[in-house]
Amino acid sequence: MTNSMSNLKGLLNKHYQISEFEEPIAMELIFDVRNDQLLDVLAFMKSIGFGQLSLLTCIDWIEKNEFQLVYILMNWDSGIHALVRTAVDRDNPKFRTIEHIYPGVKYYERDVHEFFGVEFDGNEDSFKHLFLELWEADRPMKKDFDPEAYSEKKYGMRKYRTEFPRKIGGE
Amino acid sequence: MTDKLKEVKLFLGPQHPGMHGNYSVHMYVDGDLIKKARPMPGMLHRGFEKLMERKLWMSNTALIPRICVIEPDINEMVFAMGVEALAGIEVPEKAHWIRMMILEMARVATHLFALGGIGGPTGIYTSMYWAVAERDLILDLFEKLTGARVYHIFIMPGGVRKDLPENFLDDLSTYLESLEKKLPDFEELLLKHPVIHARTKDNIMLPKEVVHDLGVTGIGMRSATGVAYDLRKVKPYARYDQVEFDVPTATYSDALTRIHIKFAEIKQSIRILKQVIEKMPAEGPVRVPIGTGNALKIKVPAGMIYTAVESTRGEYGYFIVSDGSDKPYRIAVRGASYPQGLLGIEKYLPGTRIDDAPLWMDTMGVCSPEIDR
Repeated sequence: MTNSMSNLKGLLNKHYQISEFEEPIAMELIFDVRNDQLLDVLAFMKSIGFGQLSLLTCIDWIEKNEFQLVYILMNWDSGIHALVRTAVDRDNPKFRTIEHIYPGVKYYERDVHEFFGVEFDGNEDSFKHLFLELWEADRPMKKDFDPEAYSEKKYGMRKYRTEFPRKIGGE
Repeated sequence: MTDKLKEVKLFLGPQHPGMHGNYSVHMYVDGDLIKKARPMPGMLHRGFEKLMERKLWMSNTALIPRICVIEPDINEMVFAMGVEALAGIEVPEKAHWIRMMILEMARVATHLFALGGIGGPTGIYTSMYWAVAERDLILDLFEKLTGARVYHIFIMPGGVRKDLPENFLDDLSTYLESLEKKLPDFEELLLKHPVIHARTKDNIMLPKEVVHDLGVTGIGMRSATGVAYDLRKVKPYARYDQVEFDVPTATYSDALTRIHIKFAEIKQSIRILKQVIEKMPAEGPVRVPIGTGNALKIKVPAGMIYTAVESTRGEYGYFIVSDGSDKPYRIAVRGASYPQGLLGIEKYLPGTRIDDAPLWMDTMGVCSPEIDR
């Protein structure tokens, strides 16, 4: 019954009063949920066939001072991708894990924590390093991170000897 | 000797002949049994996602193929699909067919490479030599078509870079015929080989129940669930809705089943390519301009979109965010091997033997650059 887009929208509206949807291409639905609603909505989505979490990612909206978490869900039977978005405060980026709903999110949360600094309460591994060993600066995917300054600081120009003991060609 | 065996930590990779790319697995072993496995990615982390935010939309087309080395064309495809949808561009008919041809050629090449790779950990090096030689002939075709062997940068937002060169379809069909003749030999060498059976049958299992939880897609998912969960069928892109092909599936996912499915997919790709040769429009444009003026300085309307295609390892997608400027605001890559390469290793390698670990990488499909990005 939940195969079609309009049904899905109807269900979300009925249960969670979500009325604004975006459909950038066919079979793709984007909508925002409140921070405290998210776990409910995800559990509901899983129960109606969105069994797979394709991706969890984050966008840094520096002007609005918020991080937007995007959970991309996939329903393989109907072919619908649902993008569930929610916002977290940029100054105090804390959120809850959804590992108990989608266990596959474990490494995505670690990834987002490493690159954006969002802490996922309940995911014990999320504080460990995954990609960036020996990283000594702020979270690199934030918009205010300056890669050039970091690389100059960490891998600054080395001074090389430019005088050679003997001239080539011998004079 | 004590009667109690000690647990030993072993590093598989990053420099190991059985390892795929610069990637490492820390294995805690007891004898030759893996007790605990921890994936250690990050050795190929080149900050692609950050780099993409600093490059123009068009300059990005040269960067993105590098995210997956063996199958670069999927990157170009998802990027082009996303930009086209955001900008509201309709791609010409012929471009769709050329794109589909490129994607299927890449699929055959990648599967051949993977089949050859199975020769490494099982000791059948002949398969490596044969498969890589076959793949090289596809690279020759790519060179003729695009000018490049590995990173083609041919699929552009708005279509493809150029029309087909003269007699290209004839060359392709000659190649397909020769490949088809060699496939029975591969079958003898790999699928019926007693060593392969001894090593992969009932080994390195993926239970059906955990497929969705892990997020595994592609061959791993189809070999366990028995359903044709293939984006080419579920959500057809390019012109996959106009060609006939089957999606090989199974309900018992051991390594041997997955090798069989890989092999069957090569045959299906050949079938698709033959139909492409038949149905490809002879005339017509292959590219439309995305905007007016300097192509480098195009601006993509604000919005966000997730586009995905079926790669050899599963669902491969880009999440693209544009704020209306000449550069992407954020692009996130859904590497198809992320689930099986990280959580899959942690959960399903324990219990197998040391020498089986590379077979998980081979048969599930783990491509380290797309995990690291």
